Amino acid sequence: MATLTLYSVAYDIARGLLGVLGSVLPAGARAVVLSGDAVTGLAVLVFAAVLLAASMLNTILLIWWERKLLGRFMDRRGAMHVGYAGLLQNFADGLKLFRKHTFPPREADGLGFYFGPTAYMVTSLAIFGILPISSGWNSGALPLSLLLALTIFSFAPLFIFVSAWSSNNKYSLMGGLRSAAQMIAYEVPLLLAVVAVVVLAGSFDLTTIVYEQRNYWFWGPLFLALIVFVAAMLAEMERIPFDLPEAEAELVEGWNTEYGGMLFAFFMLADYLRALVGSILVVLLFLGGWTLPSWVPAGLSSFPLAGILWFMVKTYAVFGLFVWVRASLPRVRTDQLLRVGWNRMIPLALLSVFLAAAVVTVRCVPVLGCVPSMGA
Amino acid sequence: MSEMWINMGPQHPMTHGLWNLRVRIDGEMIRDVDPEIGYLHRGIEKISEDRHYNEVITLMDRCCYVAGFAWEHLYILAAEQALHVTPPERAEYLRTMSDELQRIASHLMWYAAFVQDLGLMSPFLYGMRDRDLVLDLLQDYTGARMTYEYMRVGGVRSDLPAGFTDRARKVLDWLSDRFHEYDQLCLGSAIFRKRCDGLGVLRANDAVAHGVTGPMLRSAGLKRDLRKDRPYAAYDRLEFDVALADGADVTARYLVRMEELRQSVRIVRQVLDWLDRHPGPSVADRLPRWLGAPYAPIGNEGYLLKRSYPKGIGFSSVEEPHGEAQAYVVNDGGEHPYRVKFRSPVFANISAARQYLVGYHVADIPPIMGSVDVCVGEVDR
Amino acid sequence: MQPDDLANALRPKLGPRLRAVEPFEGTAGRVRFDRTAALDLFRAVRDDLGFGHLSMVAGIDWVDRREVVYVVWSDAARQYAILSTDLPADDAHVESASPVWPSANWHEREAWEMVDIGFDHHPDIRHLLMPDGYAFHPLLRSFKLHEPEELEVKARHV
Repeated sequence: MATLTLYSVAYDIARGLLGVLGSVLPAGARAVVLSGDAVTGLAVLVFAAVLLAASMLNTILLIWWERKLLGRFMDRRGAMHVGYAGLLQNFADGLKLFRKHTFPPREADGLGFYFGPTAYMVTSLAIFGILPISSGWNSGALPLSLLLALTIFSFAPLFIFVSAWSSNNKYSLMGGLRSAAQMIAYEVPLLLAVVAVVVLAGSFDLTTIVYEQRNYWFWGPLFLALIVFVAAMLAEMERIPFDLPEAEAELVEGWNTEYGGMLFAFFMLADYLRALVGSILVVLLFLGGWTLPSWVPAGLSSFPLAGILWFMVKTYAVFGLFVWVRASLPRVRTDQLLRVGWNRMIPLALLSVFLAAAVVTVRCVPVLGCVPSMGA
Repeated sequence: MSEMWINMGPQHPMTHGLWNLRVRIDGEMIRDVDPEIGYLHRGIEKISEDRHYNEVITLMDRCCYVAGFAWEHLYILAAEQALHVTPPERAEYLRTMSDELQRIASHLMWYAAFVQDLGLMSPFLYGMRDRDLVLDLLQDYTGARMTYEYMRVGGVRSDLPAGFTDRARKVLDWLSDRFHEYDQLCLGSAIFRKRCDGLGVLRANDAVAHGVTGPMLRSAGLKRDLRKDRPYAAYDRLEFDVALADGADVTARYLVRMEELRQSVRIVRQVLDWLDRHPGPSVADRLPRWLGAPYAPIGNEGYLLKRSYPKGIGFSSVEEPHGEAQAYVVNDGGEHPYRVKFRSPVFANISAARQYLVGYHVADIPPIMGSVDVCVGEVDR
Repeated sequence: MQPDDLANALRPKLGPRLRAVEPFEGTAGRVRFDRTAALDLFRAVRDDLGFGHLSMVAGIDWVDRREVVYVVWSDAARQYAILSTDLPADDAHVESASPVWPSANWHEREAWEMVDIGFDHHPDIRHLLMPDGYAFHPLLRSFKLHEPEELEVKARHV
């Protein structure tokens, strides 16, 4: 069986659609419609549409998951009334935000005010085109997909700063400055932790990294890197305890103070998109992606769409961990955050890189088994 | 970045009310602060001059919306001195219980708001949940959750409903089990300690000079509690300890308030026991007629207004949840108080803001002001 | 501490400017003094008698005169004392207590805007509860409620 990738499905759909269209068109037009370029173009559009729908749906589900989990942590029930167990509450909220008018402040910079959230949203969405979700839901072989994903992921502070500065509000500006400082500080340990994974897997390709975990998941030998990665990810996602760029107690809403309506929804959605990306990256890099350990009965992983199911289960579990952290920890202060970032996180990340190198050199870890040979 | 002034308020999540903290910042550092109040000024002192003595009680509930009982009690004490009235003993115990239940509710409200300022989300809900139980108790015997209008010059409006003491004990048992959880969530968290230790330090001599009272003063190690030093109502007949800490910082204020919660539970238990042992006649019937039985007509045509009292001046001072509140009531013999002056503890605590805010980070303002426990209703009156 | 103790301690310093010390239930006493003695009295009360804590400054409008009431607390004696002075209504001003007790600052600002009592050498006299530019003194007896007031509120911060 040829590997059925997301793009190939999209290609088939596009060809089918165009075939139907072509059958009712005159011959000259049919040739144009059925040409390779047209099919490829439509296939890309279908691909993007499926991705958009899936990522938005998951994001909204993620918000519901967070609300329900937080509710339980706080001895209450969370959203209950719209839809079953409040499942449709977020759609209602989204609809409300969609209908609201956006008021730019009179002194705001028009271009930056609108460009910032839009670009933030777009770049956050774009990452989903790169991340493999299962052996089938896969954008195909991208030898540097991990690097590409992290590159796009790290655009965010730029756009946050642009929107914060152009809001012309002191709170927004302070939030933007904090955001920039924080993201730059935590970018380094984040990437170093990833380097440890890359050293162990021997590849920058996310699909390969997942397959390299067939003997054991990387969280075992790279536990230190996992800790650093999760902490840095929390900072990158700007969630409690690292949510000081939008610390509502002192900065009102930080860099999105002046935003309302759909532009605020962009920020909100993009935040959760990034949270989703963060959880997905943790699953891909440390928790074996869509695979299950070999001791799990094969029946659990051989039914249709099993990969996607287990991937989602893991992702939501990881995000649940983030929610747990949010429910139980207070917010740290900027200087404390930066000090931890530069003084603690980076040495730990470097140490984890050395550990990864050591594991690769030794090749066989007691209990866990052996590292697959490079490029196998 | 050069220095700039930012307005934290009047609509700002830090304020917990309606006031404005102007802050001059240099980057993230606080260089100067200038609190501005008055946004909630309703002229309670002026309105009181147009009201009968018992009608002022309505305003007192609105003075501080989280500690209505303490303010009722404050005014009642001053008015009783001005009018030369003494309440029955049972009323004193009921007032004491009301005061302490109110202190629990107020401190739980403070706890919820304070942890929320630190970004702790769950304890906020826990504090509000438990405060609700106390409010249910208050509703049980006053009929209201916020604006009680329960105390009267010369007594209280009504006695307890049947079975109240058992219901109250159940709530107190639940509460005393929870305090330990609160402590674990806050003191047990390294981030909490990092955020709060050594923050907003206000030493005892500065605190005294700037008129700071209440938990803020006791957190600096100065043992001053009007319930002990100048006992009013039934406090001289009850056993409790004064909560003290010596850090003078945010953590110390947290410790003091948590200890006060425990002591308040202890006091309420004793009062409940006393009430059970002394079923006594209902206090409602023993109100002086000329001061208004519980449902006496109060209004322009009522018999209350056509009365003149012997002249007098009343001064009272109670340990409100936020600190020392004082009332000065001048009775010139007319039907209304001639002049009513209230001293709000938070008013003085805010006025000293420069002492405990300058030199810290912007991000420290919410926890510090949270530890001050601002209630704007009583600041602006 | 009894009213006599207060009188005995203060009389040598103030002489006739100390008008009287009356008993006041629940406090050490009510000290009536001449306004020219204000600062001397404040210093003596704080330094010699240990009343280190100024709780409250209240202004009272008696129509023909105005009264300023100070409430002070002593941690050593665990007692309040009340200081009170009369000011003529047409020339109501007294020395500020802020240099002695910093806590007087806001209380005096309030007394000034509410009862129109001037405090000399006050470090920072401006409106506290009322908006800047407010032309009335609401707690004067002449200020009647239910009267429409015409008020121009100047923008506080530009």
